[in-house]
Order: sequence, then C-alpha cells, then structure tokens
Amino acid sequence: MLPGNLGHFSVVLAFATAIFSSAAFFKAFRSPDETGWGKSAVIGFYLHAAAVLSIVASLFYIIYSHYFEYQYAWQHSSTDLPWYYMISCFWEGQEGSFLLWIFWHMVLGLILLFTAKEWKYPVMFVLSLSQIALTSMLIGVKVFGYKLGSSPFELMRIVNESGPVFSMPDYLTRIKDGNGLNPLLQNYWMVIHPPTLFFGFACTIVPFAYAMAALMQKKYTEWIKPALPWALIGVMVLGTGIIMGGFWAYESLSFGGYWAWDPVENASLIPWLILIGAVHTMLIYKARKTALHFSYLMVITSFVLVLYATFLTRSGILGNSSVHSFTDLGMSGQLLVFLLMFLVLAIVLMVVHWKKIPTTPLEENAYSREFWMFIGALVLIVSAFQIILTTSLPVINKVFGSNMAPPTDVIAHYNKWQLPIAILIALLTATAQLLKYLKTDSKKFWKEAAVLGSISLVLTGMAFWWFGLNNWLYFILLFASVYTIVVNFKTAWPFIQGKIKVSGASVAHIGFGLMLIGVLVSSANKNVISRNNTGQAFFDGEDQKTVRENYENIYLEQGKPVDMNNYRVTYLGDSSKWVNIYYKVRYEQLDKEGNVKNTFMLYPNGQINPKMGFIANPDTRHYLSHDVFTYVSSVPKKNEENDAPFHNEKKHELKQGDSVRTNNGMVYFDGLHTKVDRSSSPELANVDLAVAAKIRIVTLDSTYTVEPVYAIEGNGIVSIEKVSDETGLRFRFMNIDPKTEHILIETAERSPRKNFIIMKAIVFPYINFLWGGTIVMIIGFLLSIQRRISEIRRTI
Amino acid sequence: MKLKYIIAIVLIAAAIGAIVSTYGDSSTYVAFDTAVENMGSEYHVIGTLNRDKPLEYNPEKDANHFSFYMQDSLGMEMKVIYHNTKPQDFERSEKIVIVGKALNKDEFEASQILLKCPSKYTEGQKPGEL
Repeated sequence: MLPGNLGHFSVVLAFATAIFSSAAFFKAFRSPDETGWGKSAVIGFYLHAAAVLSIVASLFYIIYSHYFEYQYAWQHSSTDLPWYYMISCFWEGQEGSFLLWIFWHMVLGLILLFTAKEWKYPVMFVLSLSQIALTSMLIGVKVFGYKLGSSPFELMRIVNESGPVFSMPDYLTRIKDGNGLNPLLQNYWMVIHPPTLFFGFACTIVPFAYAMAALMQKKYTEWIKPALPWALIGVMVLGTGIIMGGFWAYESLSFGGYWAWDPVENASLIPWLILIGAVHTMLIYKARKTALHFSYLMVITSFVLVLYATFLTRSGILGNSSVHSFTDLGMSGQLLVFLLMFLVLAIVLMVVHWKKIPTTPLEENAYSREFWMFIGALVLIVSAFQIILTTSLPVINKVFGSNMAPPTDVIAHYNKWQLPIAILIALLTATAQLLKYLKTDSKKFWKEAAVLGSISLVLTGMAFWWFGLNNWLYFILLFASVYTIVVNFKTAWPFIQGKIKVSGASVAHIGFGLMLIGVLVSSANKNVISRNNTGQAFFDGEDQKTVRENYENIYLEQGKPVDMNNYRVTYLGDSSKWVNIYYKVRYEQLDKEGNVKNTFMLYPNGQINPKMGFIANPDTRHYLSHDVFTYVSSVPKKNEENDAPFHNEKKHELKQGDSVRTNNGMVYFDGLHTKVDRSSSPELANVDLAVAAKIRIVTLDSTYTVEPVYAIEGNGIVSIEKVSDETGLRFRFMNIDPKTEHILIETAERSPRKNFIIMKAIVFPYINFLWGGTIVMIIGFLLSIQRRISEIRRTI
Repeated sequence: MKLKYIIAIVLIAAAIGAIVSTYGDSSTYVAFDTAVENMGSEYHVIGTLNRDKPLEYNPEKDANHFSFYMQDSLGMEMKVIYHNTKPQDFERSEKIVIVGKALNKDEFEASQILLKCPSKYTEGQKPGEL
C-alpha cells in the first residue's frame, strides 16, 4: 500500500507546489522589490521537483516489484519482461507519458532557474502554470462530481469494483501476472523514442514562456536572444525524436517504411515545422530588427500545436484513422481546457500589447537574405496548414457533423502538396544563403547562382542517372536538394577550418538536402521484390481482369527455393527465443547468368501473442547503397484443422518390431503399453482396459511418434485414432489378438501439411542518405546552439 | 501592387487550395448500397464479419487472395476480396473498416483492411468515465 500512497501523495504535492510556485513567481515579477516572493517561489519549485521525482520513483518501484494490485502495473507490465522493457512500461500508458512530460518540464525549469537570469520569474511563472495543468491530469480524484485526471496509482480493485474476483479477500493470489507490455512495443526504440520525443515537446514551452514573459514585462525585444538557443534545442531534440520514430517503424514494424502520414506522426511533425519557421523569423529579427510580431506568433503557435497534438493523440478521436492513438481515458475535456487556457492567455496578451511591440516594416528587397527567409517561414506555414487539415478530419467531422474519411491514397494526397513544398524549401535554403542581409549586389548574386547552379545541374544529371530515376518532378526535387548541398557547402567551407560554430546553419541545411535525397530515392524506387510472379495461369473466374504480378507476398515452402527478382530465396526453418520465433531465410543474389554472387541470411521474426495474434518484426540486410527489407506476413496456425480427406486406407497385421512402408514415410510398430491417460479423451473416461500402440514414423527429414489407443468398455470397443499432421498419416487401432499378440492397424494417407511462411521483401535504395542526412542535420543544430549560447555569454 | 499584398494573396490561395484538396481527396464512410450504385468509386465501408460464411485463404494456391463475407450497418452483405495476406486474428475482429470499390452487386474489392479487435491489449478500463 505504501508506494501507491506515497505516489498519490506526491502527485497532490506536485500539484499544490505548482500552484504555489506559479502564484509566487507571478508576485515575484510583478513586485520585484518584494524579494521574499522570488525566494519562496524558488523553494516551492524545488519542492515541486522533489515531488515529481518521488512520483517517478514510486511508479517505477511498483512496476519493478510487480505489484499487480496496482492497475497501472497490471495493465502495462508482466513478470517476464527484462528490466529495460520495464522502463518502457512506464510510458506505455497515458498516465505514464504525462508523467514523462511533467518530468521534462521540471528538468527544464531547474535549468531555467539557473540560466534565465532577469527573465527567471515570468518564464518560470508560465512553466509552473503548465505544471498545474499537467499534474492535474494525474490526480484521479472526483471534484464536484467530475473526475480530475487519471492516477497511475489506482488499485485494481477500485478500478474494477464490479469484478467478482475482488470480492474475495485473497484476490491478490489469483492475479498471477500482469497484462504485459504490448509486443509491438517490446523493442529498444520504445526505451528511447518516447523520452526524446517528449523532451522535444517539452522544449517548445521555453520560447513560448519567454514570449509571454516579454509581453507581461513589456520588454518586447530582448527575449529573442535568450530564447533563440532554446528554440534551436527544441528543433534539434524534437526532430531527433520524430526521426527515431521513423527509424523504429522502418526497422521493426511491418508496414514497410519510415513514414506513413499517420495522424499521430503528423501531429508531432506540424509543431516542428512551425518551430523551424520561428527560429528563422527570430534570426531575421536579430539581423534586421524586423519580423518581431511574426516571431511572437510563430513561437506561440508552435507550443499551442504541441497541445493540439496531445489532444489529438490522447482523446481517442483518431480511433478510426490512426494505428497508434491511445485509448480515450475520458480526459479529452480536461485536455481541451488545458489547450484553451494557454491559447486564451496568449491571445489576450498579444491583443493587449500588439501595438506596443516595436516594428520595422519588412523591406521588400528581393535581393536580401531576410526576404527569402521570411518567404521560407511562410512556405513552412502552408506546409503545416495542409498537413493539419487532413489530419484533423476526425475533429472536423465531430464539429461539423460531417462524415469525411481519410483519403483512400493517403500518401499521394500528402505528397502532391509536400513534394513541391520540399522543392521550394530546398531552393530557398540555398538562395537565402547566397544573399546577404539588407542588400546584395545583384550581379554578384546571379553570377554565383549561375556557377553553383551549373555545377549542381551536372551533379544532378549524374545522380539522376545513377539512382535510376525517371520523372521530371523528381529531377527538379533532386536538383533542388543537390543545389542546396552545393551552395551550403560553399558557405560552410571558410568556417570549417576556423570558427566552425558559425557554419551550423550551412551544415544543417546540407543535412536537410541529404535527407531529401534519401526520401526521394528510397521512396521513388522502393521496389517490392516479392511480387508474386510465379507465372501461374491462375484465373479466378471473376478475377480474370486483375493483374496477378502486382501482388506483393510470396509463398515459401520450407526447403523449396523460389526465384524472386534477382534473388533466390529459401525458407530454411524456424527457431524460437523467448516469445519470438525466428524464420531463417536464405537469400542468394544472382547475377545475369544466374550464378550466385552473394549469399546472406535474414531472420525476420514474429510472435504469436495470445492477445494480439501474429506480430511480425522485419529483418533487413543493409548495404551502403540499399536495404533489403524482409518480413513475414503470415504463418500457418500450428493447430489448424487440415480438412483434406484421407485416402488409401490399408489394414496391416503387425507384431512388435514390424514395419510398414507408406507413401509418407516408414512406419514402425514399437510395442504396446497400458499407461494411457484416460483424461486425454472423453471416450476413455469409463473404459475397463486401454492399450496404446507405439507407432514411429520415419521420413527423410525427421522422426515422429503417435499412439493410437484401443480400449474395452463392457462389451464394446473404443478406438481412438491418431493423426500425424506433419506426415499426413492416420492410424486406427482396430484389434488385438491376445493369443498371437498381433495388432491390427489401419493406415490412411493424405498430403502432409507443409511448413511455410508468407513473406514480403522490399528493396529501399539509398536509404542511408536519409539516416546520414539526419545525423548531419543534428550536427548542424548542435553547432548553431553552441554559437548562440556563446553569443549570449560574450555580452555578459 | 505592393509585394506584401502579392504574398498575402498567394498565401490565401494556397490555404484555399489546401482546403479544397483535403475536402476533394477525402473519402466517405458509406454503406454497401452506395458503393454499388457508384461502382468503381472508392469508399470506406464499416461492417462486421459474417462468421457463418466461408473465409478463403489458401496461401499455397495464391498467397495474395483472401475473401470473406461482410455485413454493413444496414444489413447488406457482400463478398469482399483482398489481394493480400489474411490479417492476423481476422476472425476475432469486432468491427472491420474496408477501403475499396464495388466490382459488381455481390463483390467488393478492398485495397485496405483496418480491424477493430475487442479490447485486445488495452483492457478497456476507463477510470475517467462517469
């Protein structure tokens, strides 16, 4: 009882201290001469931090010690999980993921207490407000008839009051094990992706808080400098979290890709796009003292969109359209209040202070860097707007009572917008870098653009041919990506030998260009090589029109090689490890003459989970230039009824040691025994005597045993037949002659059940550009963050 | 015209374009009769599996042919053909969402199948409900 009570108490303490700290921080910046407020606010926040740590410790202790009387532990963990997956259990459920968010906000708050200096109090005020809203999600107490939040420390018997098992005083002994972690999440990515993603989400509150602080304190311009590195950190961490999700999907899930335009994926991408826009408008302000209003709006929007993303994924509204929304815990009302609270605060402050924010009109000089950076921010807004529209269809349905379903071809729908947008962004990242702030000599600009453009054109042509692309739109996107890489390489070069920090933006843009190439080539030339091209003239009557070779799975019988594209694949067999079954597939890569030039093994695996059925994980062969991605789509059920009829019935009189040759293997009679398990069959319940015959079947691959039974009940005979599925043989024990000790066995045959897998294999060319580009982009962000932080330090 | 206004117009045009595109590309949730009336157009149909009629999946014959019978919310039943593997635990589904088009008045060709299975991994505990 103790950990739960401690946990619950800590939630209430965290909630109370968040309220206290907000109020104290508010007083601290409104009445700066009353220094007591500031001191007590800080102490309050330290207490809050301790309370949060205590919540985390209690929950983890409950999970780790398998206290299944607690609902959360029961629902999300089990005794057989290794310790690192027990960490993942922590955030598998909604309450746990809220706790993760609270934790990161708390960490950011502690850092801000040390770094925010004169901005400390108003910024912490905003942060503490968000902690009030977030901790209220964990309280789980009824207030005026409304249940506030959902506590991770609730006991099973309280949650399931009507469950009959709980009326027994010793119910705990009947709960042997927990529900366990969803097998799709039993993966090391589940340990690192959510914390990174939530850290990214948490970071968006810092620029937001600075903007709010600036308005409340009427210090309208000075917030940009300290907030900029925070915005960059947010972009870097959130971007990393998003890509981790993509990499996880690619490596471990079987939908065959890294991005599905799933609403939950989109929900995290949208605030990221806006935050990138915010970084750029903040940079414009730093250089030219313009785009200040815009920077406020971008920073506010990015945080509000994080709250909207939370609402979308947790309210259950996406139930019909997304594969990974949480189930609705009935907290959608509370989430909406949270969202509106901050939205209203931001809108009110902006309206009140709008005219007072100093503004320099944007000079419409097309030959200036800031002009094109601004256009870039606008394009990012269009991109985010388009994504948010389609993603929000379920919300639109609810508000307007409409009945719109997601597009039938989701990928084509998003691509037709985002592809041209990507081209624009790539061109802009190059063009802006070639221009200077304020103004640039137009002749110099065009000369440089022409030179670098021509180099890029040549490189693009070569790359286009090398990658095997064939579409003019792809050519343009490839050109735009190559162009931005070339231009940014040129701008980065002088700094790489010297003040490398200054090259951060160029490096990040190069990374972005590489990512675009990776996305383009791996998607455009993604090739499902397991196309069913058996050439079988299989007509299904009504299906004569459909094209057989467009279907993407192949049937692999154990031991029989199949030619697939330029590979010969053979399913060799399976082996199990823990709950996973690993299917061994041998790939032999053939050259043009059909000789084997390369062999490798892949082990796509699966789990036959009692609750979720067959869960498949792919295995991928990574080459520098492409990936061969394989997963098992289906396997035969082990105890599936085989309806094929038996034929070729023959009776044999056998004595011990005799053998019979059948079409499916050699059969040996190894003797009789009477140790028959009467409970194995209802007909044996009341027999007087039961005898089993030991039958051994030997095939080329293996040996199998079955034991048909012959029993006597009163005056009647009971014969229990046995079937060997693997060999397709049926045995009926017909008679025993007690004098000669000969037995009469009837054998029957049918085709043996074959062991097979259904497999899908995809080749992703040049996908390493995507992962490599991401790493380069992150390095670029790190350099920029370092640069902006040292800029701040220098002015102190 | 000032550049500022041109930019504003382009932005608004893009926004309208996005709205039109989302509306235009969106599919609709319909019953089988609508799909049959508009044969060849793609729709989303929600229904339940008819467990009394046969499910056909013989991977040895063809790994990419799966068929079953589904009844929509108005009670109309059609044979659904799906050119892919049988989704795991299909028989346990509570509700099925298919995306595709009607081939004729009896058969529907699905390009996507989404399953809603009973409680499955989340045990349906909803402490927040009142």
